[in-house]
Amino acid sequence: MTGFARRLAGKLLTGLVMVWVVVTFTFFLVHALPGKPGDVQYEQYIMSGMSSEQASAKVQQVYGFTSHAPLLSQYGGYLGRLAHGDLGQSISYTGVPVTHLIWSALPWTVIPVLSGLLVSFLFGVVAGIVAAVKRSSRWGGLLTVSGSLVAGVPAFVLALLLLVVFHTEWNLLPDAGTSDIQYNPGWNVPYIGSVVQHAVLPVCAYALLSYGGWLLAMKSSVVSVLGDDFILASELRGIAPVTRARYIGRNAILPLFTVLALSFGVMFAGSFFIEDTFDYPGLGDLLLKSIGTRDYPVMAGAFLLITVSIIVANILADLCYTLIDPRVRR
Amino acid sequence: MSRPKPLVAAIAVATIAATALSACSGSSAKKSNGGSGGGGTGGVFTSIDANNKITAGAPMNPFNAAPNMFLGYNQMQLGFTKNDPSDPNALLPGLAASWTASDAGLTIQLQPGAKWSDGTPVTVADIKTSLAIAYTQGTAGPVASAGGTVVAGSNFEVSDVKDLGGGKIEIDQQPGVKNLYFQRLVLTSTIVSDKVYGGQLPADIWTQIAAVQGTDQAAAGAAATKLAAEGKTIAAFAPAKDVSAGPFVETRVNPGEALLDRNQYFYAASKISPKQVILRSYSGNQQIWGYMNGGELDFAPYTSMPTNILNQVLGAGYTRVDAPSYVSASIAFNEKQAPYNLTPVRQALAYVIDRDAVTKVGEPVGGIAAPTTTGLVGSQSDSILSGDQKAALNPYKVDTAKAASLLQGAGFTKDGSGKWHLPNGQPWTITLQTVNGFSDWIAASTIIANELTQFGIPTTAAITADFATYQKEMAAGKYAVGWWLVALGPQTDKAYARIYGSADGYSVTGGQATHNDAAPTNWEHTPATYTVNGQSIDPGQLAAQLSVTPVSGQAPIVAQLAAATNQELPMIQIWNYTHVVFTLDKRFTNFPKTGQDALLANPPGVWMMQGYVQGK
Repeated sequence: MTGFARRLAGKLLTGLVMVWVVVTFTFFLVHALPGKPGDVQYEQYIMSGMSSEQASAKVQQVYGFTSHAPLLSQYGGYLGRLAHGDLGQSISYTGVPVTHLIWSALPWTVIPVLSGLLVSFLFGVVAGIVAAVKRSSRWGGLLTVSGSLVAGVPAFVLALLLLVVFHTEWNLLPDAGTSDIQYNPGWNVPYIGSVVQHAVLPVCAYALLSYGGWLLAMKSSVVSVLGDDFILASELRGIAPVTRARYIGRNAILPLFTVLALSFGVMFAGSFFIEDTFDYPGLGDLLLKSIGTRDYPVMAGAFLLITVSIIVANILADLCYTLIDPRVRR
Repeated sequence: MSRPKPLVAAIAVATIAATALSACSGSSAKKSNGGSGGGGTGGVFTSIDANNKITAGAPMNPFNAAPNMFLGYNQMQLGFTKNDPSDPNALLPGLAASWTASDAGLTIQLQPGAKWSDGTPVTVADIKTSLAIAYTQGTAGPVASAGGTVVAGSNFEVSDVKDLGGGKIEIDQQPGVKNLYFQRLVLTSTIVSDKVYGGQLPADIWTQIAAVQGTDQAAAGAAATKLAAEGKTIAAFAPAKDVSAGPFVETRVNPGEALLDRNQYFYAASKISPKQVILRSYSGNQQIWGYMNGGELDFAPYTSMPTNILNQVLGAGYTRVDAPSYVSASIAFNEKQAPYNLTPVRQALAYVIDRDAVTKVGEPVGGIAAPTTTGLVGSQSDSILSGDQKAALNPYKVDTAKAASLLQGAGFTKDGSGKWHLPNGQPWTITLQTVNGFSDWIAASTIIANELTQFGIPTTAAITADFATYQKEMAAGKYAVGWWLVALGPQTDKAYARIYGSADGYSVTGGQATHNDAAPTNWEHTPATYTVNGQSIDPGQLAAQLSVTPVSGQAPIVAQLAAATNQELPMIQIWNYTHVVFTLDKRFTNFPKTGQDALLANPPGVWMMQGYVQGK
């Protein structure tokens, strides 16, 4: 077995153990939350204007899908089903497979968050390099301030601000949903155009939220690299500025790759605030709803997805690091 | 000239590109700011179904708890409620054009020309399958070996469905069972196509139903277990396409909206003006208000709304329409915790709380200050109680002197700083519990806390993190004083069962109630009997009796319960909710108006069936 394969096997084994630990923890945690699925929903149905009979009937359906077996026995059953890739059935969506709900919500998290992540990474890294190199100039200062400012704004404030400006005031972009229902979903131009149009604001919100972090991290990293001896040496040896910039970039960006890889994992958690503000029905929205209705299987399934994606991203980051930084392989 | 900032430029480019892409199709009608007008017939009617948030991946199956199905549009019933407290069995016609009730059950006449959206007629097989499904969902029986019992509750008990020919169908009630609301419960059951759902049921479903209604308890238990298992299969079933007997049929659903097209085979298609209905998803009240400010909704459902938002939506052209709502917000007491076990204490608090002022802050648009506490909403008690009975009720108008006198009479004292002390000399403080996210309760709690504090009882409003926790902790008796909903539904027995039911340690079997103060769900801990007008009454027993008494004979029992509740105040009603909805007379007209309560008890699809909502 090669060193790489050994490292991979070790990390996969560790990852599996971590998944089991987190699965166990989240299973008992979600069941420890106060309130039962049916009890919670009855009053909420009444508050939303439903008649007591309709509410009772709906709650009755929910009760049919709430397990009354002892918790340990439920846990055993859950692990058994999990081993076969079955996340169980939803309680609040009576009997709908959890995997189906997650798959339905997944694209609406992955599309905007991934786009936002890549856009913010691109802009943040470039702006970070400029801010570091021009750190004594007015532009460098302005860029740094913009990064700090945006990084400090809470997600819901930023999302509301975008909504007010681009929808309420200027009416440039739609405020909610994923596409216009008049268009038939599929690989057709109007539908894709509508999806893009609806995704602009959530993507911008995600991008702005993480832009500041990338900028500040990149700036700090570049400043640190600029002080290294090899940069001074390359200057003294008269190496071309473009080549020197490549040296700086390659060395400074290394720490950011780990964060980027982890961000891909965290991405699956979505963002409650952004999805809520733009009524964008992604995983964050699904998780929030499931917590509100005490839909244990959906909660456990969503947590599992987030956990696994973070662990996988961590493993991939470790492995990639060995590829992009030869020093780690030694 | 300044260069555009990168962000704005990027957004502008993306917007232009997306808009250009969207506009590329000439065949796709692009809506703008809600639906388009009809010019008699046609147009898109845009609304929100507050009872059913649209969810990606949820099935088009009305038996799912959170389906992408919408009552009155593509989900049909034989009839629709009028929410009439004087006659809960009064209904608007749906798939049934008319009906006659008898002791044995019900005979209905289907609408002539009632068809599914695939063009096939609605038949007795559809009704039979739908009522059998109700058994699997727990909304029908079973009442095993009921043997002549008059049955209370939300479940009907059908034993057979017979085709009498010519669209006439006989629906038999389980022999020996008399449910006072059989007619309403059967007629408001969801009707689905046998062709779509029949295959999900076992062939012997009616044998199983007969077994659960039989006297052999072991067989009944086994059949009930089987029915419950079959119910899970039905609830999880996801039909590939919608086949509706309603005025609309679902064409597609995306995570944010549902598109429904007019059902050309609907029995009263000529009455239906909108060509399409778009139902929008929403994440909270603010989003509905945002849609309304933009004039995007032709009908907006009830949302708890402050006055400034009301003014905004009225300014956007909306008409406010009010209908009764059978829900009341109250402050409830755990009488196990002193001093709330003392009637004068609860009465004194009722004299201190200014319900008008509290309502103005908490629920200024969707609430009316409760005229007094009876356990019913005002319109309900007004229609049932006589003039003398109403005059005898204590309205508990604000009277701090009376409150002080009541407290002094109960041994409470006031110190030099104006603070009240318990009879044992300890300072008296109140924690008024409410729930995160319930903005009306939270705002109202602040006012009540101020009023009580000014009176000399330092009061703080505490907020529980979420409703599930609130329910759990309230049931566990952790709160001495907290918000609670009462007066639920137009049926008085339901309203009183809410107060003198399981939350008060009562359990009912065959119309007989037993009280258990140690019952795990009993957080109210009121005494088992009250003395009202010199007479000892058992409110739990009266509430149970109410549930098996025909509406025509309920008034004397309601009068006793209202007087007892008014005197003993197990809770103080603060406001009665009003069902405030909004209509926009811009693209469509002829909406129901305030006063048309029977129509307003239903979603707009039902209005359309009756010929309302016409394109401008």
